[in-house]
Amino acid sequence: MAQPPAIEVRSLSKVFRVHERAPGLRAAVASLFRRTYKEVTAVDDLSLSIAPGERVGFLGPNGAGKTTTLKVLAGLIHPTSGHVRVAGHVPQRRETAFLESIALVMGQKQQLLWDLPPVETFALNRAIYDVPQDVFAQRLAELDDLLGLRAVSGKPTRQLSLGERMKCELAAALLHGPRVLFLDEPTIGLDVAMQLAVREFLRAYADRTGATLILTSHYMDDVVALCPRVVVIDKGRLRYDGDLRTLSRTVRPDKRIAMRLRADGPAPDRAAIERLGEVVELEATRAVIQVPQEGVRDAIAQLFASHDVADLTVEDPPLEEVMRELFASTGDARAASPGDGPRA
Amino acid sequence: MRYVRLFGTQLRRSLALALQYRLDFVTSGLVSIVWSVISIVPLYVAFHGRPAVGGWSYESALVVFGWFTLLKGVLEGAVNPSLVQVVDHIRMGTLDFVLLKPADAQFLVSTARFEPWKIVDLGVAIAIFGYAFARLGHPPSAAAVALAFAMLCAAVAVLYSVWILVVAAAFWVVRVDNLVYLFDSVFDFARWPSSVFKGAFSILFTFVIPLALMTTFPAQALLGTLAPGTAIAAVVASLLAAIGARRVWLRALAHYTSASS
Amino acid sequence: MRRLARTYVTLLRVGFAAALAYRAEMVVWMLTTTMPLVSLALWSAVAAEAPVGRFGPSDFVAYFLAALVVRQLTSSWLVWQMNQDIKQGSLSQRLLRPVHPLIHYSAENLAALPLRAAIAVPVAIVALVTTGGGHFARDPTVVGVAVASLLGAWLINFLTMAILGSLAFFTESSTSAFEIWFATSMLLSGYLVPLEIFPAGVRAATDVLPFRYTLGFPVEAITGRTTAGHALAQLGVQWVWVVVLGGIAIAAWRAGVRRFAAFGG
Repeated sequence: MAQPPAIEVRSLSKVFRVHERAPGLRAAVASLFRRTYKEVTAVDDLSLSIAPGERVGFLGPNGAGKTTTLKVLAGLIHPTSGHVRVAGHVPQRRETAFLESIALVMGQKQQLLWDLPPVETFALNRAIYDVPQDVFAQRLAELDDLLGLRAVSGKPTRQLSLGERMKCELAAALLHGPRVLFLDEPTIGLDVAMQLAVREFLRAYADRTGATLILTSHYMDDVVALCPRVVVIDKGRLRYDGDLRTLSRTVRPDKRIAMRLRADGPAPDRAAIERLGEVVELEATRAVIQVPQEGVRDAIAQLFASHDVADLTVEDPPLEEVMRELFASTGDARAASPGDGPRA
Repeated sequence: MRYVRLFGTQLRRSLALALQYRLDFVTSGLVSIVWSVISIVPLYVAFHGRPAVGGWSYESALVVFGWFTLLKGVLEGAVNPSLVQVVDHIRMGTLDFVLLKPADAQFLVSTARFEPWKIVDLGVAIAIFGYAFARLGHPPSAAAVALAFAMLCAAVAVLYSVWILVVAAAFWVVRVDNLVYLFDSVFDFARWPSSVFKGAFSILFTFVIPLALMTTFPAQALLGTLAPGTAIAAVVASLLAAIGARRVWLRALAHYTSASS
Repeated sequence: MRRLARTYVTLLRVGFAAALAYRAEMVVWMLTTTMPLVSLALWSAVAAEAPVGRFGPSDFVAYFLAALVVRQLTSSWLVWQMNQDIKQGSLSQRLLRPVHPLIHYSAENLAALPLRAAIAVPVAIVALVTTGGGHFARDPTVVGVAVASLLGAWLINFLTMAILGSLAFFTESSTSAFEIWFATSMLLSGYLVPLEIFPAGVRAATDVLPFRYTLGFPVEAITGRTTAGHALAQLGVQWVWVVVLGGIAIAAWRAGVRRFAAFGG
């Protein structure tokens, strides 16, 4: 018998009413007396189903409705219409059993008590979630294993670095053993090493506990490393739901062939290479070309025939580019993320 | 049961925090004492050696002042510190974390922080009672003390409810600094017996912002002059205030979860 | 200099727009300003039994209405703003601007004045009508002193706020220092009780302390409860306080910013 889904969303919509004010003194005075409102549809007829233990990445440009969706799933925002069930509960009812089975980590906000060491927050959460002492000790030991908390959790939070704080933040969110874990940009602002550590931790945690994991991130690497399945949301609408690889393949059915030539050999033959596919990069000893999937075999054969190849790799185009293309194709030229990767 | 333990944890945490700042104990103690002495001056000017105002002699006005000191201690020690944090929570968006906890949000925010050093105010209040009753020449009866205690509970309930209302405003208005400030300024008039005020202010301070209930009724109870009908009305009113505050709080939360982004 | 003046005008305009932005706050604000009305009711009732010192009920009315106006025109809330800026690091942005932050703060403060005057002017008119004008200064010297004392009172308020606000650079609990100042000033400035009816010893102390010069002194000048000679002498004391507090404020600010820079906010 199939397990009931961990998350079930049917036709979810959320409309906000926002107050609008033009700049300038006159508008400021005018808004004292009459305010104009406009309706903004943050989430528009969204449906999806996520099985227990799945790891899903929410992708989309800024303001696409990812965070709103996440907050609806966590029961923080009431939907305007539609049905939502998470771990068998209706989130907006905020039943104790529901709240005990989820956790939300927000990279830009923190729940740790600022003036006290993180251990105090842990103890507080233990009392709030009513976790038995022995379970609590065991979980803390496990988290310590994965995150190396012991060195930092005794210092007042305000003295911790951003990375250390994030580790403790994760621990505080996971001490009650949530079955569904929502992560809103958990690696934002962290350096590369720390991003890697957080990613590894999340994967190990999900493997160990079988928890369902929903992630939004601006760093495509987070998504690639953690989420086999992605959900693309743009302007509140579902654009894509499925396998990450399939997504790249549908949007960009091309492959990239990167070739390194022997330094002592002849220079690359530009005309010959251009005949094979679109040139992304061409230097004295290095060339990157983009070719349709079915042409990869022929292209490689010809490259080997015409050049003194030292090394050759075939890869998918970077996810940033895939996303850019996806959003551009609806007439929306916004990039997938503000600081995205190398341009072709 | 969970809540009892939770309350204990929160209280311990506040104590731990307070112990970090032991200097605060000395300063807040000193300030409290000096401040109470200075504050008696206007009372002295208005009541001492003069005809009774609105039926209040100097000594009985002192008893009101004692209750005022005590309630100010409760307000600043137990009510105010945690509730002002709600405002920060809303502004920084961290209220979400509170709402995600499987415990009542109002309980969590109301017990988040205590200022244990404010216990000094209790001592000061008792000293004022002692002085006033020594001047009167007779101690209050046991029944009067019991009734006064009941009135104190009603007063605290009302004080807390009014504060929840102030904080709930933060869900609609981004900055409530001046609302807090307004409440502080209004509360300051609780040091005067309410019947000194005439006309509109008397109605305002009895029904709208029940300062009378907060300090005058407990004082009358202790002095043995509180009418039984008034006492019952006070208890009923405090219950209604608590229920009303709870409803407003729930509405504020509903507003927050349906309007926030 | 001209550039500074031009910048200042812009700062004032932006500050005014900001002050207008929240109408709910404005209501609260108007309510806060009615405090002297409560004092008025209280002391009129007390004086109704028998006059307190030189004060009969109508003297109290004139005094507290004047207090309301003075309070409106001279108050400052810099402490809260500095606290927020320092704790949340938004001070860095102010430090980056080519205008001294204290100047910028003062502009934000003064920009709210038109709104406050909108509340103060009707009260002043009510005061003149209800008391028949007999309780207000006539002597031109005293009137002049009253006007000058308003500026002095605002400066003292602003500068002490700047000093107390600078404490936030050094300690976590700077607002409690402010609360002590605020509570003391409520009483010793003549806001709750006219200083004149205090016992002589307390009165002598308030003559020396700065509190009285933020409220009691301007109110006494406006209500004409002082002679020209005494008023001028008091004005001198007030401005000595302005200079002293100005010096302390600048020193405190400098020390604070040095520390802010050292700790990186």
